[in-house]
Amino acid sequence: MPNDPLFQFIDVSYEAGGNKILSRINFAVHKGEFLAVLGASGAGKSSLLRMFNSLTSPSQGQINFRTQNIDSDIQCLRKNVGILFQNPVVFSGNIRDNLLAAGRWDNNIAQTLDHELTHALEQVEMGNIELTHNAKDLSGGEQQRLALARTLLNHPQVLLLDEPTSNLDPKLSRSIMDLVDKLRKTLKLTVIAVSHDHLLMRRYAGRVIVLSRGEIVGDGPFKALDRSAVFEKAGLLGNEVNDET
Amino acid sequence: MRPDFYVLNWNDLIVSLAFIAFSLFLIKKWKLGLEQTLLVGTLRSFVQLTLMGYVLTWFFDQQHWAFMLSLLFIMILIASYEGTRRQKNEIPHFFSAMFVALLGSAILILGTILLFILDVEPWYSPYAAIPIGGMIIGNGLNSTSLTANRFVGELRHREKEIETLLALGATPKLAVYDAMKASIHAALIPNINAMMTVGLVQLPGVMTGQILAGIDPIIAVRYQIMIMYMWFTTATMANIIMLTIVYRQFFTKKMQLRRELLREQA
Ligand SMILES: Nc1ncnc2c1ncn2[C@@H]1O[C@H](COP(=O)(O)OP(=O)(O)O)[C@@H](O)[C@H]1O
Ligand SMILES: [Mg+2]
Repeated sequence: MPNDPLFQFIDVSYEAGGNKILSRINFAVHKGEFLAVLGASGAGKSSLLRMFNSLTSPSQGQINFRTQNIDSDIQCLRKNVGILFQNPVVFSGNIRDNLLAAGRWDNNIAQTLDHELTHALEQVEMGNIELTHNAKDLSGGEQQRLALARTLLNHPQVLLLDEPTSNLDPKLSRSIMDLVDKLRKTLKLTVIAVSHDHLLMRRYAGRVIVLSRGEIVGDGPFKALDRSAVFEKAGLLGNEVNDET
Repeated sequence: MRPDFYVLNWNDLIVSLAFIAFSLFLIKKWKLGLEQTLLVGTLRSFVQLTLMGYVLTWFFDQQHWAFMLSLLFIMILIASYEGTRRQKNEIPHFFSAMFVALLGSAILILGTILLFILDVEPWYSPYAAIPIGGMIIGNGLNSTSLTANRFVGELRHREKEIETLLALGATPKLAVYDAMKASIHAALIPNINAMMTVGLVQLPGVMTGQILAGIDPIIAVRYQIMIMYMWFTTATMANIIMLTIVYRQFFTKKMQLRRELLREQA
């Protein structure tokens, strides 16, 4: 069915350590969307994002991926749904070692040829860096690009971003988000990005879900939400870090 | 002339109390505030070991396989309990992990030594099984306690790395492989270093004891060599069994890292 949602959250709640972190979340994500999830710090954004690749499971409710229970094949799900964290994880060794990290368990990746690795680096605009370059010597932005290239080698359909640029300066943030948006179009990815920065996100996302204390308080295009005072209520105004330039 | 025995009697032991007296003097002079602890320690070591001597004498009179097996079983239970008590972190089923690890290495290593190396006749003779079994279990206990602590530290330190690997499609086993490797290295390298330097700086305790008790140094040395190999194998085996059970406790059935177990406990 072409109109079946890619992800469907049905009455999802999450409790941990005695805290109610997410309450009765309902929404669907369709193929090709660029969805931003906005909320103040502690609103439950990371907890929600981690459910898309089953790093965390809801305490109640159900999540479907391509109309199947999301946990029906977790390894397959995770190859299909890549994630970038706020601080990219770079393993010791060179760039090749990092790109081939999944080669330990995935023969397809282990057999990737160097020119394919270089192609992955070109996709993240790092084609000029040698595969033998020590990965820990890369700058913060380059490490995030390397992590992105490593994920792309799994040929994901979905990319999850957890404040991937909040440690980078505004110009670098934008160049990484530009790259993600370009990849979304060329590789037909679905992108779900978590952020507290509504000015950065409104440049890219066609739809935004606003979380406040674990509840969805707004869901729709930015323009529609601007008219209601959702961003204000969710504590998202007044902390803009990205100048509109 | 080499004397056959240096017998240590109770009077000699009382003289050795002079060491403690001297330590007490130094502690007082330097105001180290350890007098009471030292006195308790002195008394406890004296009483515990003396009692143990009588208990061992009684044990050594028992000649029955069932007695020996029950005794080893109880030793392993106590060691597993002690290992669990020493564990600073919350590791689900750690007692069972210790128990299986110690039981597995005791069966294999003690069995090999009794049956094929020392050719003890009968195999359950307490003179061999008790001290060697005690060494294996004690050594396994020390090594696995340290390794488990270190492993949890590695998991804490590598939390993001492990989740990144899981997110790329790794199984839990592959995601923690580097953490397991690092903690096993940390456990085994001191053992290997001990094998490198043994005899150069100091003589190992067992060998010293045997030589003092009148055993030919050449024979004492052979025992020591066997013991070092035995220690290393015990540590390797017990750690691998323990970690194979322990790492699974840190993941859910859905291959998720149980991060709540990695929070620093107050
Ligand atoms: N496993 C957990 N146990 C206890 N509290 C948690 C756990 N995970 C998250 N929390 C708490 O839930 C709240 C939301 O966390 P998170 O999803 O990381 O929010 P955000 O990413 O929006 O900042 C925070 O207050 C956090 O401390
Ligand atoms: Mg977060």
